[in-house]
Amino acid sequence: MKSLKQYKTGLLTTSLLMIAAPALAADPGGWNCQYCPFEDGYRAEYSAGVSNVSDDAAHFGDATGYDEKGTYLNLGGSGSFAEKGYQLKWQAEDLALDSRFIEVEGGKQGNYGYRVAYREIPHHVFDTTSTVFLQDGSNSLVLPSDWVVAGQTNGFTALDASLVKQNIESERKIIEVDGHYLPSTKLKFFVDYRQQKRDGVDVTAGSFYAQSSLLPRPFDYSTDEVDLGLRYRGDDGYVQLAYYGSFFSDTSVDFLWNTPFTSALGSTQAALAQPPDNSFQQVALSGSWRAPIYQTVASFSAARGTMKQDDALLPYTTNPNLVTGALPAQSLNGEVVTSNIALTLTSRPISKGRVTFAYRLDDRDNQTAQREWSRVIADTFNSGELTTNLPYSFKRMRFNARADYDLFNSVKVSAGYDRTDFDRDFQEVASQTEDSGWGQVRWRPSGLVEVKVRGGSAERTINSYDEAYASGLGQNPLMRKFNLAYRYREFGDLTATASLPNTPASITVSALYADDSYSHALLGINDSQKLEVSADLSWAVSEKASLYLMSGYETVDSTQSGSEQFSFVDWQADNADTFNTVGGGFRVKNIAEKVDLQLDYSKSDGTTEIALSSVNRNLSQLPDLSSTLDSLRFKVLYQQSERLQLNLQLRYQSFTTEDWSLNGVEPATIPTVLTLGANPYDYDVYVISLGFRYWIGTDK
Amino acid sequence: MYRHSFSLSSAVLLLCCLLAFGARAQEAEVSFSKKGADTCLRCHDNQQTLAIFQSNHAVPTDPRSPFGEGQLQCEACHGPGGEHTGRVRRGAERPPLIRFGSDRPTPVETQNNSCLGCHDADVGVGWHAGPHNSNDIACADCHTIHADKDAVLQVNTQAEVCFGCHQEERNETLRAFSHPMAEGKMDCSGCHSPHGDTTELQLVRQTINETCYQCHAEKRGPFLWEHAPVAENCINCHSPHGSNHPGMLTKRAPLLCQGCHSQDGHPSLANDATGLPSGVPSQFLLGQSCLNCHEQVHGSNHPSGSKLMR
Repeated sequence: MKSLKQYKTGLLTTSLLMIAAPALAADPGGWNCQYCPFEDGYRAEYSAGVSNVSDDAAHFGDATGYDEKGTYLNLGGSGSFAEKGYQLKWQAEDLALDSRFIEVEGGKQGNYGYRVAYREIPHHVFDTTSTVFLQDGSNSLVLPSDWVVAGQTNGFTALDASLVKQNIESERKIIEVDGHYLPSTKLKFFVDYRQQKRDGVDVTAGSFYAQSSLLPRPFDYSTDEVDLGLRYRGDDGYVQLAYYGSFFSDTSVDFLWNTPFTSALGSTQAALAQPPDNSFQQVALSGSWRAPIYQTVASFSAARGTMKQDDALLPYTTNPNLVTGALPAQSLNGEVVTSNIALTLTSRPISKGRVTFAYRLDDRDNQTAQREWSRVIADTFNSGELTTNLPYSFKRMRFNARADYDLFNSVKVSAGYDRTDFDRDFQEVASQTEDSGWGQVRWRPSGLVEVKVRGGSAERTINSYDEAYASGLGQNPLMRKFNLAYRYREFGDLTATASLPNTPASITVSALYADDSYSHALLGINDSQKLEVSADLSWAVSEKASLYLMSGYETVDSTQSGSEQFSFVDWQADNADTFNTVGGGFRVKNIAEKVDLQLDYSKSDGTTEIALSSVNRNLSQLPDLSSTLDSLRFKVLYQQSERLQLNLQLRYQSFTTEDWSLNGVEPATIPTVLTLGANPYDYDVYVISLGFRYWIGTDK
Repeated sequence: MYRHSFSLSSAVLLLCCLLAFGARAQEAEVSFSKKGADTCLRCHDNQQTLAIFQSNHAVPTDPRSPFGEGQLQCEACHGPGGEHTGRVRRGAERPPLIRFGSDRPTPVETQNNSCLGCHDADVGVGWHAGPHNSNDIACADCHTIHADKDAVLQVNTQAEVCFGCHQEERNETLRAFSHPMAEGKMDCSGCHSPHGDTTELQLVRQTINETCYQCHAEKRGPFLWEHAPVAENCINCHSPHGSNHPGMLTKRAPLLCQGCHSQDGHPSLANDATGLPSGVPSQFLLGQSCLNCHEQVHGSNHPSGSKLMR
């Protein structure tokens, strides 16, 4: 949007004649729109209904709140009020479900504004799990009084009688309060506050050296975040100063559990450290400036932050039979300083060409002190060794250059060069450099057809892979970790879009290919390839009807090597993930001026094939991992009157998985691990919803 | 003297020519309609056009709004409409205004400059060098201006807009394990800054990890015992748009872990089907695999947690 003054300014700066005043055909300053239907008064829509869910299914209830069989109430709506520049808007969804959301925003546009929102997101993981552990307080699990310990799970004689159902689920509750104030058209103050509370039960594991138990761990987290800042906008750019603070708190520092196994050293209870309270605070200055020549825009961003964590440390062990020295510190006093600097420059030095340069530095400087700590292994024995903590630091510099040139009216060519330098400490590779080059051609012979092809390669080199350092950490010196190792990558992508003349239909096909070779790797990832192909069709059949179809295919293959003998590569695994996605739907509006129909269907299946081979022995292949998710929604909307709409919705979801990590794994199946006996997902759920929507106030 | 007279007269003549040319050029370029929106609404009075009056662009009390006092109303965005609203010869097409969308004849750069005239600060520092701008994506490709609710600004409808182009990401969110995008409980802009940013993946925070920590701050630390690839980059192990593996992991354990770990005294075993329940059930393969013991993979704050078991 430009004011008259801006139009005049633009002319004065771009015209050869700086002294001429523009001749205008009208005086916009005097316009007073008589026919503009500006918002005024109150209008709202309210919706209500009921839904019936056919079956219990944790995965289906994840985020939706429909996790259990039964009848649910649906309530929602939205509304707005406007008068003399003051506005108030609200909206609500799923008010009677665990996935409820309500938002109110208002203010006087151009002067101040505020927003308050509340959202709940349920997270349901398993409803097929059971445990012998009983919760004792907020941070402790104990065994039943009649529990019989044993060295292996098949000796748990009280297991069956002790198992109780334990869902793995949690709830995220989010409160957001935002506001802004504009003392002038150029200055803006803003503050955004967000609180997230998460509580529930997740799965963790507690081990006593050779035995372990999967534990339903209760947790209660809270994170408070605040963004505040001010922004000044001038005629040729803007500058913004902002603060971001994030403060995490956990209700307990430890989580205790009793081992169900026989404890050789007499210790029956152990403690896990809970995520520690921590904070991150950051100050950022950013801005952008439009230079008067060559349509040049320069932008910058500089941020400096500090992560801190100083929670009380637990003792080395809860085992009274183990002798340990004193802790070198009662808390970590951990501190990480982050620095981020970015500069970008875009310019059009010639009418047909544009260049872009970008520089970015990300530095994570972990300033936590290094100390020597006794090595107590799983509350079972003290190795007598001392281990030093490794506060990892990283510094990444990235430079990008890009040029675009309009070769012909219909052809645009682009090329780019990227360089990334990555420095790390306390790791096998200290310095890593990646050079990447690419080219792109975009052909657009008309507004109906566009084809874009891009390809390039990247080589990541390292100064050296320090095998001696790896050995010092007990790592096999033959290992080449994939994020540190040498890598050569080839990549390409294609996007083609075509629309039919005089027909509102279009088809889009896209493909992406990447081939990574870690040719210097002995152990670890040797290579990986990725191919994605998608095709979409959309067609507006008429003013009232439209349909779409979508499909996708993706494969991700990788080969990795391992060593059982430690001194040489003796086995390989080929991992192949394949995904197929299909879907489609239609919309039909105003059938007999009364009825709207909507249908959406999607099916996504994924298969993971793992092929193992070994020079030591014949290996039997693992079954495929697979998942198939079918979803269908069909909605009928019937306009009973101008203000009343009735709706019927049918929703169906089917989810089946084959997962060898869960198939047939009962709580006592693994001799040394007491599990929760989770079953692979397998359900069909129908939801039938009936409801209405009613409009009040000004025009619907 | 003669030379001076020639130079002076030539200069005056040149100036007059330039003035005349410039005045004509400007008059042609800045010719507004006679009555602003009242002129436009005489023809463009359909429901879709009128929806602008339910949006933030049509608030007369906001001096920054196109319909604020002294502003150019429809022509603030669509450009001066004098010629478009003036008389045209019978059968001739009306001179076009700025029309929005990359499938429209108006150059994308012209369209976007119209928006950025006011919204340059809103889009942040990354727009000009960002991929959407570099690939000539028009603002109107994502934003619906003539609407009460712009779909791309609503949590439950935003992803559908983004997936119009980002098909691969759409397919990933339909997989077995993903963030609740398909349920409309999370939007793309919770993590990504669609107007571009100077971060690697157009993120809302400075780095990938800082972005993830917004909702997963329990994994931030700094921990006494850090897991290096975790502190460096969450997507070393996770596929944030969706995966065939629980936890949105890129690969199933133990292979995921064995991509980096082959420890002395704790060999990297080829765990095959003999470790399934039908054979000799293996703690290295079943349940949580490596995480049956090393469960603190995101870091441990326990003094005895150097192996991420406490």
